[in-house]
Amino acid sequence: MIRWLNGGRGLSREAIVGLSLVSVYLVFTALFWAYPFFWLAKLSVTQWRFFDEPTFVGVRNFVRAVQDPQFLGALWNVVRFLALYLPIAFGGALLVAFGLQHVGRGRAFVALCFLLSNVSSGVALSLVFLKIFSSTGPLNNSLYAAIGVRIPWTNEPTLAMLAIALVVAWKFVGYYGLIVYSGLLTVPRELYDAARLDHAGRWTRLVRITLPMLNPQLMMVLTFAILVAFGLFTEPYLITGGGPADSTATPQMIIYETAFRRLQPSHAATMSIIISLGSYLLVVLARRLFEKKVVIA
Amino acid sequence: MTARRDLLRYGAAALLAGCTPRASERAADRIRLWVGPNAAEEGFWKIAVARWNALGRGLPVTFTTIPTAGNSEDTVLSALVAGTEPDLSTNIFSGFAVQLATLGQVEDLAALPGYAELVERRHMSAIMPGWTQNGRVFALPIYSSPTLLWWRADLLEAHGLSAPPRTYDEVYAFSDRYGRAKGQSRYGMQVIAGRSWQDRWFDFISFYYAASRGQPYLNGARALYANPAGLQVATFIGRMFRERWTAMDFDAEEPLVTGLAAGAVRGPWDVERFANIYPDTLARIVVGPMIAATPTTGPASTFSDSKGVVVFRNSRVKREAFDFLAWVLGDEALNLLWLERTGLSPARGDLLQNPRFAGYYRASAIGRAYAEHVVSARPPALSEYTIDVQKIMGSQLIEPLMTGQQPPRAALTAAVQRTDDMLEAQA
Repeated sequence: MIRWLNGGRGLSREAIVGLSLVSVYLVFTALFWAYPFFWLAKLSVTQWRFFDEPTFVGVRNFVRAVQDPQFLGALWNVVRFLALYLPIAFGGALLVAFGLQHVGRGRAFVALCFLLSNVSSGVALSLVFLKIFSSTGPLNNSLYAAIGVRIPWTNEPTLAMLAIALVVAWKFVGYYGLIVYSGLLTVPRELYDAARLDHAGRWTRLVRITLPMLNPQLMMVLTFAILVAFGLFTEPYLITGGGPADSTATPQMIIYETAFRRLQPSHAATMSIIISLGSYLLVVLARRLFEKKVVIA
Repeated sequence: MTARRDLLRYGAAALLAGCTPRASERAADRIRLWVGPNAAEEGFWKIAVARWNALGRGLPVTFTTIPTAGNSEDTVLSALVAGTEPDLSTNIFSGFAVQLATLGQVEDLAALPGYAELVERRHMSAIMPGWTQNGRVFALPIYSSPTLLWWRADLLEAHGLSAPPRTYDEVYAFSDRYGRAKGQSRYGMQVIAGRSWQDRWFDFISFYYAASRGQPYLNGARALYANPAGLQVATFIGRMFRERWTAMDFDAEEPLVTGLAAGAVRGPWDVERFANIYPDTLARIVVGPMIAATPTTGPASTFSDSKGVVVFRNSRVKREAFDFLAWVLGDEALNLLWLERTGLSPARGDLLQNPRFAGYYRASAIGRAYAEHVVSARPPALSEYTIDVQKIMGSQLIEPLMTGQQPPRAALTAAVQRTDDMLEAQA
C-alpha cells in the first residue's frame, strides 16, 4: 500500500523507492505488453495495411476470420494435434515420473537431462527430426531394408501430425514428467500402506490413489499442452511446411503468413485474438471438466 | 516534483523520438543503400560504392547490409512502417516488390529519367518484360539465376547416357535403368524441391516454363497453366512418382552426393556450396537444360530466381538514387566484378557475346551453362498473391500427384480452379 504524506500531497520515501523499483517492470509491461495489446485490439476492428490510417470496420474482420477456410482448418488442426499429443504427453510424463522414482543415485542429473530437451532449440531439433522422418532417412531406410516398406511420415495427413506431435513431445515430455514427479513426492506413503492392507492391487492403487492425488500436476500438464498446441509454429513450419494439404498448418503459421507475407495485419490481428480466446476457453473448459480439489481428510 | 515530471516527460519524448524518425528528417545529402546480407554481395557493393564516391558524379552513397537475422522482407517492411527505410534496397523478390507497389511504397522505375537508356545499355530488353506490369517496373533485376538440372555425369555414363537427358522420355528410360540397377533404392532424379510455397519455383514452375516455352502461368486474376504444357508437366510428375523413379523428399541427405538421385534442379548459388562442401561431387556434375516433352532448339526456357533493387517512394533523393543505380548496373566492369564476386550472372542479354565476360565464362563451364539461359529464364509471376497461388499449386496439384490420389488432369483442373476462386475472392 502506498503511504501518502502531508495530507495526501506527497509520497513517503518508502513509497518512492517502491515505485522506482517497480517502475522498470511497469514500463516494460506498458511498452511490450499493453501497447501491443491495445494496438492488436484496435487492428481487429479496423482495416489497416501498414501505411494507411486505420479505418473502423466493426466486426467485419471477425466475420471474415470465421469464414476463412485456412484459419478454420488451422483451428481444426489444433484439435487433431491435441488428440495425438495429449496421450503421448501424459503417458510420457507419467513414465518419466515413475521412472525417476526408481532412480537411486544421480536423480538430479537424470532430471537435468530431461530438462535439456526442453531448453534445446526448436529449429535444431526440427532439422534433426526432418532427416529422421525423411522418406529416404535412416528410419525409413531401415524399415525398407527389413520389410520393404517406407512410412510417409510427412506426406500423409495423420502421420504428418503424429510426427509433429512426437517431436513436440520429445521436447516437452521431460519437463511434464518433472512436474508430475514433484506431485508424486507429495503423495503420503500411508495411503498406499492403507490400500495394501485392504488388498488393493497396483492398478487399483494407481487409479484410486496416485492419479487422483496427481490431479493438480496433471491439470498443469494439460494446461501447458493446450497452450503449446495453440502456440505451435517452428516444428510444423520446418518439418512439414503446413502440408500435406494444409493438414499441419497451425494458427500461428497462418497468422504469420497473413501479417507478414500477405501483408494483411488487421486480418492477422483478428485471428490472433480469436486464438487467444479459444485457448483461454479451452483451458477453462478443461479445468471445469477435470480439475478436482485434492483433500486428505 | 516539477523536475521529476520534466525528467519523465523528456525521457519519454526521447524514447519515442528514437523509435520513429519521420520522413521529414530523411537525409537529402546522401543516398542510403541496403544490400543483401551475404559476404559476396557486400564485397561487391563496398567496391562499387567506393568507386562512385571517388568519382563525385552525384550524391555520396552509404550502404549497409539489410539488418536482418532472418528474412529480408520482414526487415524491409518493419523499416518502412517505422520510417527508417533507406533510399534503395537490393534483395527484393518480384512478388514482394508488387506488394510494396500496391501499398504505394516503391517508385515506378520505368518512369524515372534514364531508365530506357539503362535497359538498352545493359541489354535487358529481353529480360525486362518479366519484370514489367502494365508498363510499370517496380524492381530492377541485378542478376538472373536460371534453374537448371544437375546430373552426375559418372552415373549417366554408367547407364548409357553420354549427355544429360533433355526430354521426359529420356528421364523415364534412365530412371528405370538406374533404379532397377540399385534394387529400387535409388532414384533417377529429384522432382519435387520441398514442401514450402517457395519450392514450387524449383519444381512445377521451372518445368512449366520449359514445357510452355516461357509462357506465363498467371495473368492478373487468372491461372493460366491448365493447358497442354501444364498437363505435360503434371503427367511427368505423376508418372515419376507412380513408377517410384523419385522419392517423396530428399531431406536426409544431398542426393547428388550419395547418388541417391542422379539428377536434381539446382541454381547457380549451389556452385559455391558444392565447391566448399562437396568439391568431388561438383567435379562430376554436368549441367543440362530443364526437361520437356520435346527438346527445344536453343536454350530451353526455365525459371529465373532473381532479386531486384527498388527505390522507395519516401526517398528524398529518388532521381539521384536511380542515377547511382543506373551507373552501377550499366557499368560492364562492375557487372564483371559482380559475376566474379557472387558467381551469379548479371541480368543482361549479352553475357556470352560481350568480350568483357568471355574470360570468366571460358573458365567456368557451369557458369556458362547458366549464362546461356539468362535470356530464356522467366521470373515469378508478378502477383501480390504469390504465396497463395503457390500454396494451392502445392496442395492441389503436387501433393495429389505425389501420392497418386488424383490423375494429372484432375489435379491440374482442381489447382487452377482453386487459384481462380482465391484470386476472385481477393479481388
